[in-house]
Amino acid sequence: MNDHRRPAGRVLDAHLHLLDRQLLDRDGLPVTTVDDLELDGIEPGASIDPDAPAPKVTAILTGPDLATRIFGGRPPSSRRVRIPWELVTDVGTAIRLGVAGASLDATWAERWVSEHIIGRIPGGRHDPE
Amino acid sequence: MKRLFSVALGILTAIGGFVDIGDLVTNAVVGSRFGLGLVWVVLVGVVGICVFAQMSGRVAAVSGRATFEIIRERLGPRAGLANLAASFLINLLTLTAEIGGVALALQLATSVDPLLWIPVVAFGVWVVVWRARFALLENVTGLLGLTLLVFAVALFMLAPDWGQLAGQALQPGPPQGEPIATYWFFAVALFGAAMTPYEVFFFSSGAIEERWTVKDLATSRLNVLVGFPLGGLLSVAIAACAAVVLLPASIDVTSLSQVVLPVAQAGGKVALAFVIVGILAATFGAALETTLSSGYTLAQYFGWSWGKFRRPAKAARFHLSMIICLFIAIAILATGVDPILVTEYSVVFSAVALPLTYLPILIIANDREYMGDHVNGRAMNFLGSVYLVIILVAALAAIPLLIITGAGA
Repeated sequence: MNDHRRPAGRVLDAHLHLLDRQLLDRDGLPVTTVDDLELDGIEPGASIDPDAPAPKVTAILTGPDLATRIFGGRPPSSRRVRIPWELVTDVGTAIRLGVAGASLDATWAERWVSEHIIGRIPGGRHDPE
Repeated sequence: MKRLFSVALGILTAIGGFVDIGDLVTNAVVGSRFGLGLVWVVLVGVVGICVFAQMSGRVAAVSGRATFEIIRERLGPRAGLANLAASFLINLLTLTAEIGGVALALQLATSVDPLLWIPVVAFGVWVVVWRARFALLENVTGLLGLTLLVFAVALFMLAPDWGQLAGQALQPGPPQGEPIATYWFFAVALFGAAMTPYEVFFFSSGAIEERWTVKDLATSRLNVLVGFPLGGLLSVAIAACAAVVLLPASIDVTSLSQVVLPVAQAGGKVALAFVIVGILAATFGAALETTLSSGYTLAQYFGWSWGKFRRPAKAARFHLSMIICLFIAIAILATGVDPILVTEYSVVFSAVALPLTYLPILIIANDREYMGDHVNGRAMNFLGSVYLVIILVAALAAIPLLIITGAGA
């Protein structure tokens, strides 16, 4: 209990509290699910020096990272869809962002389908009756 | 007064919405072959769906997270994807069966070939999913589905030998000439029909569509605990009608016209009109629920925006995937496959898929991080564990029984 390495504040388990959680934007609109996390400070495959500082979560990853997490491998970094960790405002049963989802690259597919298909069908931009 | 009205409405729609094409066909088939010898399965199934639906509704209302978000969160992406694939395909099969069921009911009413009705029905389902408010679609189909009570009325009009019916119900076991494997095959099919997994996707997502909170839990529990058992009685009435009319005449149920035959015999044209309206409403309602469920499962796994409370352009991939599913259902039915056959397979595979959704819900319902003080009580967990065993046994037995019995031939 008196472990000096134990950080102050709330402890989050990346696997239990972050991965595969729903991501909501400022207005509560779903953005995506946390498909993977980007960590800073460790090299994949390299052994970790016991005195090294703890790695930091720098971004939430989505898009092609879902496929690689299921089937293995790593997408090239140019294909990565990153949501910087600085945008996160709250971690609960869902993870909340402080920005509008439409401003993120992660919602590109949703916006494309909305503008080119669903929004063009009559009634697509109206509230249900 | 307003609260009383909303409770009554909820219970009535739960009764009217309980029966779908799977319940109609399976109960009639079982009644015509085994009498009431399998009525105990309906009872076990009804208690099971009460436990299951009530738990998933509570999880959704308290945590704000629907079933498939939770499945992904607990099982991880890989097992979650396998679960999604199985649940989604079985739901698609059920959707196909429901649309075929609406087309068959329209054929009963109009004598027009069901193949011509199928695209019309699918378009109708899409228009409602596209434009109608969630509460509206649920209430209208649920209330019209109440006309299926004509099965219960018909049973009394047939003046059956009640002692004989009770005898069948109290002496479970296959009648002479029926192998034991067939008996158990239909037991599993009936269980799958009563507990179809889409009801859970729909129930938990519906809780979020209607913005349930902890305050609504009592009302929802009442709807489930009163509405579903009464809906189950409707299932028993369907089986009893078949047991009274079809079993002695050794008529096999191969189409909807045999399902409604006892009602027509008892009450003539008026009763027939009621039962057709009831079947139309029940299958159309279930077609809406399965269409929505296909969108719910995909959107919740991938974290897309979903829900009928949003305009379609704000839940674009959710709506697009439902449109694609409806086209797939049309394509399957356009091959000329018998919708009754699709139904019979869909209920058996539903039994196979049950543990996939049931287990994650049971786990989350005990997780204080999600549920706070609303975690399962001890009695609920006992009941939940008993059902976990029953569901696992039914799921494991379903495919071997399907093969051994040649789908109950």
